[in-house]
Amino acid sequence: MKGLILKDLLNLKSTFKMLGVMMLFFAVVFIPQGNSFIFGIIILMFAMMVVTTISYDDLAKWDAYALTMPVTRKEMVLSKYLVMAILNTLGAVLSLIVGVVGSVIMGQSFDLEILAIIGAIYLIALIFGSVIIPLIYKFGTEKARLMLILCALLPTALMLLAEQFNVSLPTTGNPWIYLILLIGFSVAGVILSYLISLKIYSQKEF
Amino acid sequence: MINAIEIKNLNKKYQDFQLKDVSFKVPRGSIVGFIGENGAGKTTTIKAMLNLVSRDGGTIEMLGMDTLKDEKKIKESVGVVMDGCNFHDNLKTGDIAKMLASIYKKWNQELYQQYLKKFKLPDNKIIKAFSRGMKMKLQIAVALSHQPDLLILDEATSGLDPIVREEILDVFMDFIQDEEHSILISSHITSDLDKIADYIVFIHQGKILLDEEKETLLSKMGIFKCGEEDFGKLEASEYLRYRKNQFSFEVLVNDKAAIRKKYPNALMDGVTIEQIMLFYGRGEK
Repeated sequence: MKGLILKDLLNLKSTFKMLGVMMLFFAVVFIPQGNSFIFGIIILMFAMMVVTTISYDDLAKWDAYALTMPVTRKEMVLSKYLVMAILNTLGAVLSLIVGVVGSVIMGQSFDLEILAIIGAIYLIALIFGSVIIPLIYKFGTEKARLMLILCALLPTALMLLAEQFNVSLPTTGNPWIYLILLIGFSVAGVILSYLISLKIYSQKEF
Repeated sequence: MINAIEIKNLNKKYQDFQLKDVSFKVPRGSIVGFIGENGAGKTTTIKAMLNLVSRDGGTIEMLGMDTLKDEKKIKESVGVVMDGCNFHDNLKTGDIAKMLASIYKKWNQELYQQYLKKFKLPDNKIIKAFSRGMKMKLQIAVALSHQPDLLILDEATSGLDPIVREEILDVFMDFIQDEEHSILISSHITSDLDKIADYIVFIHQGKILLDEEKETLLSKMGIFKCGEEDFGKLEASEYLRYRKNQFSFEVLVNDKAAIRKKYPNALMDGVTIEQIMLFYGRGEK
């Protein structure tokens, strides 16, 4: 399993370098404007990379070969989820560093709001990964990408619809409730997603 | 354990193709050539052996263990090379070693280095820059570096030039020397099998047609060349397949000594594995 995770990280080596340059560019452009947009970009760029690793695997017909090694199908699926968690966490940590360094450079004190934004995006990135991984296992990378765009449109459409019909969303004064809800939702999402992926992958014929 | 691989009544059904009661053995210490035309079922059989596809029936034992029950243990001691390179384009040989060292318990880094050197594979280039021959050699080096007892090779020599092929065949011969190791090699380059195989298993349309020691096969079988009159006298049990030419018949016979006795003036040629394949594939019964 360690080998499988290592393989993905080694494969992303060149992507990491490119991403570093892009991050620097965004940081220079956006931080002086006091724009928190950058944190989202960094985390989501890292979150997207799990999809890249699966396309690399497809290209090399890796999975069929890996399964000739002492690696179980369960380990194959689990390793992808761990890679996703590692990449997302890496993205969140880098965002945090950019945030702290940015505040120091701009001579401001580190705003707790940044931490909240990073935390929220981190969880959203996990949900995003949990949706796309089973879709990829079922339909392949290309189709899954399209489906993901549809998935992203769906909640937006619902929100717009709710607004149209003046459905009042339940509100509460306590932001902690949102946080706990979001965490609970993400954790449940990841676990459910893993179980679905495992089921699909166990029946896959190579 | 007498057999490195033992397959009994393997069945696998697809919409337009099926493996029907495939059974054969790979005796320990031997090289078994698994032949058949494209689409005959070679790769499907190998995939079923490795649990890459599910099967509809039958049992498969490898290294004395059941492949469904002891899958992980078996795979620790089996090296597999498939048609093509399965490592990612951006990796280097060193990256592969790092990754495989934590996958295989018995990964031998020294041995891997030795093979890389022997095959003259560069360690500073990414795999994308490797030629097809180099990629295949890398796959073989990897398959051997965790010290397997059994090698399964699916079209591992196809698409390679004769020099590289011979180099690879020499490595296989070395591997087999200790009489413990075994190889199952599927190929349609039959000249390779003429050189190294001890046994020939021939699959045709999902069924095993032949399973025989190569020397026996080649010494027993023959091609009987005759006119229409003589062919008419042959009984159905005396030949396997025939091919009709413009003026004569070519008949693949199972027991050339017996036919020769019956027709003392008969023109009888020896066979090669390729000819056997052609007779089964294109001849008539």
